[in-house]
Amino acid sequence: MPLRHRSLALSLAGLATASALLLAGCSADAGPSDTPATPVAGGTLTYATGFGEPTCLDPHVGGNMPQALVGTNVLESLFSQDETGAIVPWLAESGVAADDGLSWDVTLRDGIAFTDGTPMDAEAVKANVEHMKDPETASSTAILALGKVSSVDVVSPTVARFVLSEPDSALLESLAQTWLAMESPAGLERGMEANCEAPIGTGPFVFSEWVKQDHVTLTRNDDWTSAPAGATHEGPAYLDTIEWRFIPDPATRFAALQSGEVDAIDEMQPDNVVAATADGSGLDVLTGALPGASIRLELNSGYAPFDDELVRKAFIAAADVNPGIQSLFFGTVERSYSVLSSSTPFGASFEDDYAIDADKANQLLDEAGWMSRDSEGYRTKDGERLTVDFPVSTNQSIPAEVSLFEQIQATTKAVGFDVELHPMDLSSWYAALGSWDFDLTSAIYTKNSPDVLRILYDSENIIPAPSGYHPNNAHVSIPELDDAVTAAGQTTDPDERAALYEKAQELLADGAYVLPLYDHLQKIGYGDRVQGLSLLPTLQIPYFGDTWVSE
Amino acid sequence: MRGSALGGRRPSGGPLDGRVPGGPGRPRSGLLRSRVLRVAAALGGAVFVLWAAATLTFFGLRLIPGDPAQAVLGGPGSQASAEALAAVRSEYGFDQPIWMQYLRYLGRLVTGDLGSSYSQRQSVASIIGSQIGGTLLLAVLALTVAWLLALGLAVWSTRGGRLAAAVGSGLEIVAAAVPHFWLATVLVLVFSTTLRWFPAVSTDGPAGLVLPVLTLALPLAGFLGQVMRESVLDALEAPFVLSARARGESEAGVRWRHVLRHGALPGIALSGWAFGWLISGAVVVETIFARPGLGRTLLNAVQLRDVPLVIGVVLVVAVGYVVMTLLTDVVSRIADPRLAASRPSRSSRPSSSRPASAEGVRA
Repeated sequence: MPLRHRSLALSLAGLATASALLLAGCSADAGPSDTPATPVAGGTLTYATGFGEPTCLDPHVGGNMPQALVGTNVLESLFSQDETGAIVPWLAESGVAADDGLSWDVTLRDGIAFTDGTPMDAEAVKANVEHMKDPETASSTAILALGKVSSVDVVSPTVARFVLSEPDSALLESLAQTWLAMESPAGLERGMEANCEAPIGTGPFVFSEWVKQDHVTLTRNDDWTSAPAGATHEGPAYLDTIEWRFIPDPATRFAALQSGEVDAIDEMQPDNVVAATADGSGLDVLTGALPGASIRLELNSGYAPFDDELVRKAFIAAADVNPGIQSLFFGTVERSYSVLSSSTPFGASFEDDYAIDADKANQLLDEAGWMSRDSEGYRTKDGERLTVDFPVSTNQSIPAEVSLFEQIQATTKAVGFDVELHPMDLSSWYAALGSWDFDLTSAIYTKNSPDVLRILYDSENIIPAPSGYHPNNAHVSIPELDDAVTAAGQTTDPDERAALYEKAQELLADGAYVLPLYDHLQKIGYGDRVQGLSLLPTLQIPYFGDTWVSE
Repeated sequence: MRGSALGGRRPSGGPLDGRVPGGPGRPRSGLLRSRVLRVAAALGGAVFVLWAAATLTFFGLRLIPGDPAQAVLGGPGSQASAEALAAVRSEYGFDQPIWMQYLRYLGRLVTGDLGSSYSQRQSVASIIGSQIGGTLLLAVLALTVAWLLALGLAVWSTRGGRLAAAVGSGLEIVAAAVPHFWLATVLVLVFSTTLRWFPAVSTDGPAGLVLPVLTLALPLAGFLGQVMRESVLDALEAPFVLSARARGESEAGVRWRHVLRHGALPGIALSGWAFGWLISGAVVVETIFARPGLGRTLLNAVQLRDVPLVIGVVLVVAVGYVVMTLLTDVVSRIADPRLAASRPSRSSRPSSSRPASAEGVRA
């Protein structure tokens, strides 16, 4: 399929261009003022997050976005990534796989210490990996990422050998995430309670106070020497303190930014982005696509009615997404035709598979036996209505997104689908997904590697974890796809990986399992006293090591 | 009902005989017994309310889908290993039948142990202890402001003629009908974003309290104002006001000493209910204004299926409700001695503070 190869090439080219622009934007002058200023040391920056308050500041425990956000400026990882997704050194200098792929030697930078004075050496790496793999730690993200790591051997103080049970091409990408950040072994030994309150890392800031439901205070680490690649300066951060606040309501968060009560906020709503980027607002917005899966609808192919490929294709041909994206998001997001977000390497775009055609949809439904319609215009078969249950997590889906789902509901109704939206809190939503009690879902999955395709669509991941959680919500079970994502996870040859991941995405598009909507964007709004703010490409998390505030 | 009971016990005498009934001639032992019975009944009622709150919450949370073992292991959607889940299930007793878990839980509650939070890994008592102050401050201030607004509006709108009455009544109905989240958003837009008088985030000092307190107080003032104004209007037309005026009392005297006291009674009775209502309003207000407090704690705990924390907060709110109800009872008795008829200590008080309402009943 030469056409598809072209779209892969195009999307890679687009990615390169986008990252070049991003790089230029980050490195030159990220502040809203046009005149580059000289950094000033001192001052406090107030950041308000809408991602919620962590229940534990140690991202090894659990492992979610709120932890990664606040943790990134305190805890550092062995590796980082550049804008193209390529692995670059951080606390480690290099990682080299053995020929059989069954071990990796990670060489560490010399002379780095945790803020409690403990050296950041191979022993520390071993202690951290053991901590993440210990069931007592209750890790979910890190333990999954280290699934193929059986142990860590200390070869020398600066060389840690990761011993694997099978080859893992995504190992260094995994180690670049904040959830697998390095913490002081002495800190870990204090026990879970103390470590949750204030984990000890090597970063530009130190956790110094946590007032529950109010704020976490980060103070500068004057001995910091381990700036990540792409940082604009070496040596201690400029800011004295960061006050990290929890403001769940998006309108309050934006009002606080507008009135100058806080300096930067995340989780901006589309209308706020428009207001903040307008001339004279005194505000600006930093945007980055979260790596991993795009925001998408997954069709549960394991159960009726979407176990029928014709019905899935009819749904996708009828679901007119673009007008909704344009009107509801005020041009702040772009339509995606890829299962992978634009910041994730190897994303392939299959625009033709998502063309809107109501006639085709009607024809497909006739063909699938949903011939008659009831008094309300919904299609029926054997007296049963063509109902699609769609549980919506009110915690994860912003209002504009819920409105988009309502528009999809309206456009698919025209051909006879009865899409029933069920708003739910997060626990009920997970429970509905866990028991396969849904036909359609929109779930977020962030991972800085195309290996996310294996997690989301390998048939193995239909089988639920003991908690009931299963990542493969679309119930995709295609042996060819399983083989492709497994092989891609084991080879380190980029061309081979690209071909295998494209194959997997092609199978998903052809089988109409997923309807991509748009990139999951990190949108950071900030006031004009904030200078030198950037996003760390690994997880698009705001990075304050180079940030200063001007008066 | 009150009137007839009073009438039965009231010794014969003229309307201005200067004695509040119930004192002389009643045996003290009987009074003591009835008082003990009343306290026992109140305590029994309180215990019943607490037990019912704990039980309903316990089973209610189990009915909603979601695994408590997940809550312990980092929230919903956790990808915890089988070993970790099994360990948690046996440690917390989730593998036991639900009635056993319930009995164990009740047993711990009886000894005053609220348990420890699944999600925050701290004792429930210490979490509540650190969050309750802010919420109580909010509730007390909102109740006070609501009272002042309601009284002011009731007095103003009942003396300003037909237009004032219509305006007052209209304001009260609108205020009572406004939802908290909408009011909060409007207040933020006007006073924070546009005028910049008060911060949108309620953490810094007294200025940060203004918008949250107003959000809670305005609808409540609407409710209280409605019942108070009705009551004031009734009192204004009652014969005892006529007789007070006939005695030559000033208009202000009539209003403050007779009418207002009459008008306040239903408001006092409503305050116990209002307290419970304020706590539920705190869930919205604390979330919107990013204030630490019990309301936000409760919301997070419900979302995370943190059973001990939810039950702990619900019990504390139930205790507050019971205490407030008892308090309003006492205050009502002070404001309206008809209700205090069985209190010997007050039986021989002179008539100077005798309320107009009692006259009204007799007239």
